[in-house]
Amino acid sequence: MFGWTGTTLRVDLTKGTVTREATDIGLAHTYLGARGMGGKIILDEVAPDTDALSPANKIVFSPGPLTGTFAPSAGRFEVVTKAPLNNVIAGSNSGGAFGPELKYAGYDALIIEGKAAKPVYLWIKNDEVEIRDAGAIWGHTTPDTTDLVRAETDEDAKVACIGPGGEHLSPIATVMNEMHRAAGRSGVGAVMGSKNLKAIAVFGTGAVTVADPERFKTAVMKARKMIQEHPVGGTGLKAYGTDVLVNILNQTGALPTRNYQDGYFPTADKIGGESLAAKQLVRPKGCFSCIISCGRVTKVDNPAYAGFGEGPEYETAWSFGADCGIDDLDAITKANFLCNEYGLDTISLGSTIACAMELFERGIITAKDTDGVQLTFGNVAAMVEMTRKAGEGEGFGAKLAQGSYRLAESYGHPEYSMTCKKQEMPAYDPRGVQGIGLNYATGNRGGCHVRGYTIAIEVLQNGAVMDPRITEGKAGLDITFQNLTAALDSAGACLFSTFGIGAPELAEMLSAVTGVEYSVDEFMKIGERIWNQERLWNLTQGYTTADDTLPERLLKDPIKTGPAKGEVNRLGEMLPEYYQLRGWDDKGVPSKAKLKELSLN
Amino acid sequence: MTVRFFATIRTYTGETERRLDDAPATLRELLTALAARYGTLFRRAAFAGADLNPEIIILVNGRNVLYLRGLDTALSQDDEVSIFPMVAGG
Amino acid sequence: MAKVLMIHPDKCTGCHNCELACSFEHEGQFRPAASRVQAYTWEREGMTVPMMCQQCDDAACVKVCPTGAMHRSVTRANLVDWDERVCIRCKMCTVACPFGNARYDAASSSIFKCDTCQGAPECVTFCPNGALEFVDDEQQVRSRKKAYAAKFKDAFQEVS
Repeated sequence: MFGWTGTTLRVDLTKGTVTREATDIGLAHTYLGARGMGGKIILDEVAPDTDALSPANKIVFSPGPLTGTFAPSAGRFEVVTKAPLNNVIAGSNSGGAFGPELKYAGYDALIIEGKAAKPVYLWIKNDEVEIRDAGAIWGHTTPDTTDLVRAETDEDAKVACIGPGGEHLSPIATVMNEMHRAAGRSGVGAVMGSKNLKAIAVFGTGAVTVADPERFKTAVMKARKMIQEHPVGGTGLKAYGTDVLVNILNQTGALPTRNYQDGYFPTADKIGGESLAAKQLVRPKGCFSCIISCGRVTKVDNPAYAGFGEGPEYETAWSFGADCGIDDLDAITKANFLCNEYGLDTISLGSTIACAMELFERGIITAKDTDGVQLTFGNVAAMVEMTRKAGEGEGFGAKLAQGSYRLAESYGHPEYSMTCKKQEMPAYDPRGVQGIGLNYATGNRGGCHVRGYTIAIEVLQNGAVMDPRITEGKAGLDITFQNLTAALDSAGACLFSTFGIGAPELAEMLSAVTGVEYSVDEFMKIGERIWNQERLWNLTQGYTTADDTLPERLLKDPIKTGPAKGEVNRLGEMLPEYYQLRGWDDKGVPSKAKLKELSLN
Repeated sequence: MTVRFFATIRTYTGETERRLDDAPATLRELLTALAARYGTLFRRAAFAGADLNPEIIILVNGRNVLYLRGLDTALSQDDEVSIFPMVAGG
Repeated sequence: MAKVLMIHPDKCTGCHNCELACSFEHEGQFRPAASRVQAYTWEREGMTVPMMCQQCDDAACVKVCPTGAMHRSVTRANLVDWDERVCIRCKMCTVACPFGNARYDAASSSIFKCDTCQGAPECVTFCPNGALEFVDDEQQVRSRKKAYAAKFKDAFQEVS
């Protein structure tokens, strides 16, 4: 096989066995890898009523066929499992270098089943695989875990691991790799924790081979040029990082503020990418094979929040910043470092703290609940302290580590949790940008921006423009983005390569690598199939059209200040057309005809 | 009127914002005046020939001028204009 | 005109495109373990440094080679070349190089060391950040020296 390695590794932690299997060729051709391949494995092998934290759940680490080649910015992998946060098929995407290393070690997917009797880590060196005792490593932060595991395996091993967050089974726990990269959403880290699996170390000296080297190199040179000539892919992201978005969302009036109570944050400039570049940025960083280098190596000198690491990204600067009414970038950066070290999702935790702040200001919770802390919007020290406590699972922090839905519901007020399908929405107010609201509402994994990033068209003028304030045409826009992204994710490419290239270039590189001809239509169809498959799983979990919605606040309470003052999200104008264009019935169930068309029956 | 500059636009202007006592009548006039003040790099960022550069994003009171009247968008004294290069993130 | 493969670690973002380009050019596949350039990352310090053969004028590998397989090229300037036809794979060159820039690859029975790809190094083409530069020896440090000279220029412009 070209692109794919042809081998899948299966580890049963209950029995302590390791099995090498031939990668199913049909599965590879149809689902590519990563999100698609992992998702199909979960769908086929995990019974729908399985408890996500039980030994019967499985967790798949899968790179894509492009991963490990020099397709530009295509070195990614996904962690796929049944989500502890909300029971969907969690497909959490990450960069760094772990995915390519799995390919060089010889694997298209690593499937982990069962549960170890005591804490263990996996050591994969090419075709030698060991399950090793992790008793002395359990409890450590993710950077320390990485160093400890390397000391026992290889100093250059790539390590994916959980921190205390995953060990405490937090539904918003991450899997971290290379210390600073996160498979962030839906609580995938808790699944590792529930299996007593602390870390996976990989070292590979093998090769990823290409079917048509000349064709591939030509396609890659073309794709590289397109990305390098794009203002965002070529220079903007490297100069300012994703945090550059703070100001443009704020000036659009769609920067969610104080738990989505408003859409405009007057001092937003203090937490934007320009400020980050001037103050905390040490140098840019790129994932494996990346030509964009959006990563931020950062440092905080302020002794109160001193630290060194990577980030914050835009979503993080928002969640611990504007969403908490905070404009102290040092403190936000520190909260980001803490989340990486403890292994917690920055979007979900920041939004959960914001939710708690609103509950506190409304008197629903008091200082008695919050360990004596005045948890009000704008209280910088409280935000950082609560982040640390959430990581430690200490006091009120243990409740925060459950995510905002469970937190708010426990106090009888789930309406203050800014979530869709229990997953926290990220940093774009749907009252100011209509189409992203439809994406949040219909998202298979809940509140999420990356899987249908209509912001690129509605706000960022990337190749096309659509007015963010209108609902016309948004159903079609969302569907195109959702389908394309599902295929892109499954190929191992990074979403940001779309600041430069699109489906034609991705399909061409994929064809040249694998030797399987993928037209643009087929590439998009793969994405459409994966999206429908994830939807079918959600139906088995009891999700209905009633769950394709936004918090009441976003449908009923207008933005109070700023450029989008007076706006609400008009989901009702978009959702029926969305179902129709998807070929689903008016309850959002894929029709038999659609399933047949996608070979999903 | 207040004009705000972001990202690389700030490197061309050397400042983050400018207040104007007399608002120009249209966006074209505003950008021409700013280009005269800040020089070639600003002008090249703002204009592609006589047209608005497709790689610049200009908001007037939060609304992208592409949905208003482009360079012919009328401006008034209490407007807030924000000028961005194409940016992105996630 | 002799060209030098200059490394600028301050510009390296740790993307490893150099390793991918090198192995693809030499091996026709993506095997960073076979790359003649290796980029090492220190995650806690957020820094990556690429390393490859520096084509020493007075090369230790040439000195110890018993057959002349390692030799200064007579056809190309500033290149320590490896003649695989006369190499006996004794690996003395790998022992001698103080920088670790020559290694023996058992899988292919060859010595891996940078050969500057016939004068058009692929790693330089593929580095997206200018961390690797194939530059006339006279201009080798120009970009770096000039960047710092610019700081002095700005400082003095402010006071004079």
